[in-house]
Amino acid sequence: MQQHSIMLFFMLLVGIGTIFFVSIFMSSLKADNDSTGVKNLLKKRFWFTLILIVVLGIFAAATLPKSPYFTYANETPSTVIHVGTMQFSFFLSTKPIDPKSPSGETIEIPHDQLVEFRVTSFDVNHGFAVYDPSMRLITQVQAMPGYVNNLRYKFTEPGEYHIFCLEFCGTGHPVMQTTFKVI
Amino acid sequence: MFRYFVCFFALTCFSFLGYANDNHSDFREEQNLYGKIYNAPLGIVGNNKVSSVEELYNQKPLIIALVFTRCYGICNPFLLQLSENIKHLQSNSDFNILVISFDPRDNLQDMTNLSKQYGLENNLQWNFAITDSIDAFINSIGFIPKWDSVIKQFDHDALLVGVNEKGLITKNLLGIRIVEDVHKMISSINNVFTPSYRLPTKSNIFSCFNYDPKTQTNRPGLGLLFVALPAIITFLIVTIIVIKSKRTVS
Amino acid sequence: MNIDSLKLKKISALWIIVILVLFIASIVLGILMRLNQGKVIEQSPLTFYTNMTTHGLTMIGIWFAAGMVAVNYLLQRYVKTSYGVNLFAFILTVIGVVMLWVTTYAGKFSTGWTFLYPLPFRDLGSESWSTPLFLISLTILGVGWLVWSVSLMAQIFKKYTLAQAFAWQHFKSNPTVETPPFILITTVTLVGVIASLIAAVIVIVLYFAEYFSHGDFVNDALLMKNLIYFFGHTIANEMLYLGLAVIYEIFGEVSDRPKWKMTWYISLAWNCAMVFILTAFFHHLYMDFVQPQALQIVGQLASYLASIPSAAVTVFSIVAAVYGVKVRWSIVNLLFFLGVAGWVIGGLGAVIDATISNNIMLHNTLWVPAHFHTYNAMGNVLFSIGFFYWFSTQYVDKLVLSKLTKYTLTLLIVGGIGFLMAFYVAGANSIPRRYSTYPVELTSGPYLAKVGALFATIYLIAILIFFYNIAKRCFVILSASSR
Repeated sequence: MQQHSIMLFFMLLVGIGTIFFVSIFMSSLKADNDSTGVKNLLKKRFWFTLILIVVLGIFAAATLPKSPYFTYANETPSTVIHVGTMQFSFFLSTKPIDPKSPSGETIEIPHDQLVEFRVTSFDVNHGFAVYDPSMRLITQVQAMPGYVNNLRYKFTEPGEYHIFCLEFCGTGHPVMQTTFKVI
Repeated sequence: MFRYFVCFFALTCFSFLGYANDNHSDFREEQNLYGKIYNAPLGIVGNNKVSSVEELYNQKPLIIALVFTRCYGICNPFLLQLSENIKHLQSNSDFNILVISFDPRDNLQDMTNLSKQYGLENNLQWNFAITDSIDAFINSIGFIPKWDSVIKQFDHDALLVGVNEKGLITKNLLGIRIVEDVHKMISSINNVFTPSYRLPTKSNIFSCFNYDPKTQTNRPGLGLLFVALPAIITFLIVTIIVIKSKRTVS
Repeated sequence: MNIDSLKLKKISALWIIVILVLFIASIVLGILMRLNQGKVIEQSPLTFYTNMTTHGLTMIGIWFAAGMVAVNYLLQRYVKTSYGVNLFAFILTVIGVVMLWVTTYAGKFSTGWTFLYPLPFRDLGSESWSTPLFLISLTILGVGWLVWSVSLMAQIFKKYTLAQAFAWQHFKSNPTVETPPFILITTVTLVGVIASLIAAVIVIVLYFAEYFSHGDFVNDALLMKNLIYFFGHTIANEMLYLGLAVIYEIFGEVSDRPKWKMTWYISLAWNCAMVFILTAFFHHLYMDFVQPQALQIVGQLASYLASIPSAAVTVFSIVAAVYGVKVRWSIVNLLFFLGVAGWVIGGLGAVIDATISNNIMLHNTLWVPAHFHTYNAMGNVLFSIGFFYWFSTQYVDKLVLSKLTKYTLTLLIVGGIGFLMAFYVAGANSIPRRYSTYPVELTSGPYLAKVGALFATIYLIAILIFFYNIAKRCFVILSASSR
């Protein structure tokens, strides 16, 4: 449900911003020829900037450790799922995938266990985005030719998960998808 | 226009250099990752205290090399390169090496001779061993040597297997590899998570970053220069404009 | 009226007409895309993606050009600019854009405007000649714009020293020479523009190298992605700064208020912005775990830092110019004011997305087009249209705030908010961007696309009214003689 809190947070900021700009605009309509406008602007500007820097600093300090490069880094995964991508399909396999004749298999992942997806591409850039059974994007990584990206995740809810491509890869981009089960 | 020519010239040079940089890697290296290695009983040259693979990896993470002593092919250069690589590591105390024979004909004496060949018979980090359950052991790795009855040799890969202190396979290396790759294996068996790695291509020369095993981080590659190039060229353009301008007002 | 300023006025009028015509065409393409996603019309994926590619490339091109036209026109107040270079850039832009439309519509080139490597080499359904033609058309645009930017910069440095152009003397107390804020922002922005265009040149050279090597030379996908976003992200941001330069220059005079003065903090803020903006593009690669973590963190910090100078300086300048004082409101400064609000709100969406732990939920969902459409369609476009109004009315007739103008602005705001909200809500619902049609599982996608198309049409109506008003005056300018 992280997206919904992001949206709420954003709407809150938008609301504050709108009130701010509207009130400034209204104040100019009410003003007459003798009005002098804002006083002590430099001081206000200083405090505003300082508060902004502190808020952004706190925000950065709170969010950076949650970056996907650091999550589950100290645990050993119980399974590896190899992911090969090409226009316009995904290959998921517990065995390594031969780029010359890629093939996948039906995947079932036990819940509450750390799984590592090793994602690469055999042609262009693709995305590997995991959607939970309620079709919410829960994690993702890019599939880049020439590189393997390791995405770790612990699924808590059993069910059918969808994978969509989230990097534009050509005309078949929207049909590029697959599923796996968490048991 | 001049810049175009410079770039093209540089590119032509680099693309030729690129050919020389072709190294070998294989998707089969990804086999059996995070699988548990079979706990085979071991007979180790000059070591009676340890009698199984588990006891060995419980001491320290393990690099396993699979060889046979009657090999006319890759085993010798493979072990030679490995011993040279290990010699050149700055810190090589956080792992042990197990050289194990997959040929049932090999006995402890054969392995003793092999260790002497490399001057490693008294090196405690190196364990030359045989086992009587080699089939279960190589199955747990996914290593399949084929017996060729005509030349009386095994047809096999040169395989290094990295095992962490829990006995889980964290990395495989196929073929004779450079010291950087061995370093990656050592970090991996010591449970350092690398979010990604690159596959070998012709154009390594252009990569933005190369893995530096000494610091276990990425160090800038030639490609990074290209990422910084726009800023550098812009700086030069501004400098040239400023120098060449004849200002009317100072 | 002297002949030089008339020539500049005519070429600017010509630019404005061409830009607005292309803008309307691109909005129509955008609406068609949303209608297709909403299943109201049915296009083949190839048609959808050629439309998408054309829409993106044209929009980036015209709004960059619009900023340059405005800056070039106003720069004439301080330094002498070259008419020839302006005309050269115009001709090359027209040729480049025509060639781009040929590659997308005749050649079916459809890689998106980001032409992420190696997609142009594996672009299914397109003609084989379309990739080289695409690269050539980008080269033509790049050369035209690079020559233009370098020429403007050279003119600035003919009058101002290095320190003066960057307003460094304002760090000391009592500077003897005052640098107009317009000159500082223009110089800072041109530096960024030149850097981004050079990144484009390098990308094009690397593409050509691979194209002509017939497979012997292969590029590094990570390097190409870094370079493409260096170009793409930077130019998309710098064109906003071009618009801000215009606001700093003329907001005061159209509002009947004093001109904005240079101070040490304005100087500091813009000098900082110049640096931060060049490294913020790393936030496009958060989901490429292969990019070293240090650069990912730099990306988040630079994205945060880039917002501070603009918020603390530009927003405060607007506040100082408007709050509690009598302002002569007209369509021009209303558009500027509205544009700054849109830019700030889009910036909030951008900062949220530039946070790595949010990006994993939002990357390449419709949240991304949501925020960049906010600061483009409701920010940068309004800056430029405000300038177009000011430019076209200054000698033709007086600026008055008529009833029709108020209605048009209302349409613009309602249409803009509606079509952006459809994007934001879809982004929060995990609907991917760049999908010609949505998989059945993503149920809210088509519904929100229809809402988006409806409101975008309202936005388009407002733009058509603006176009009519501006274009008719520009035609008057075009037909004026020097006598």
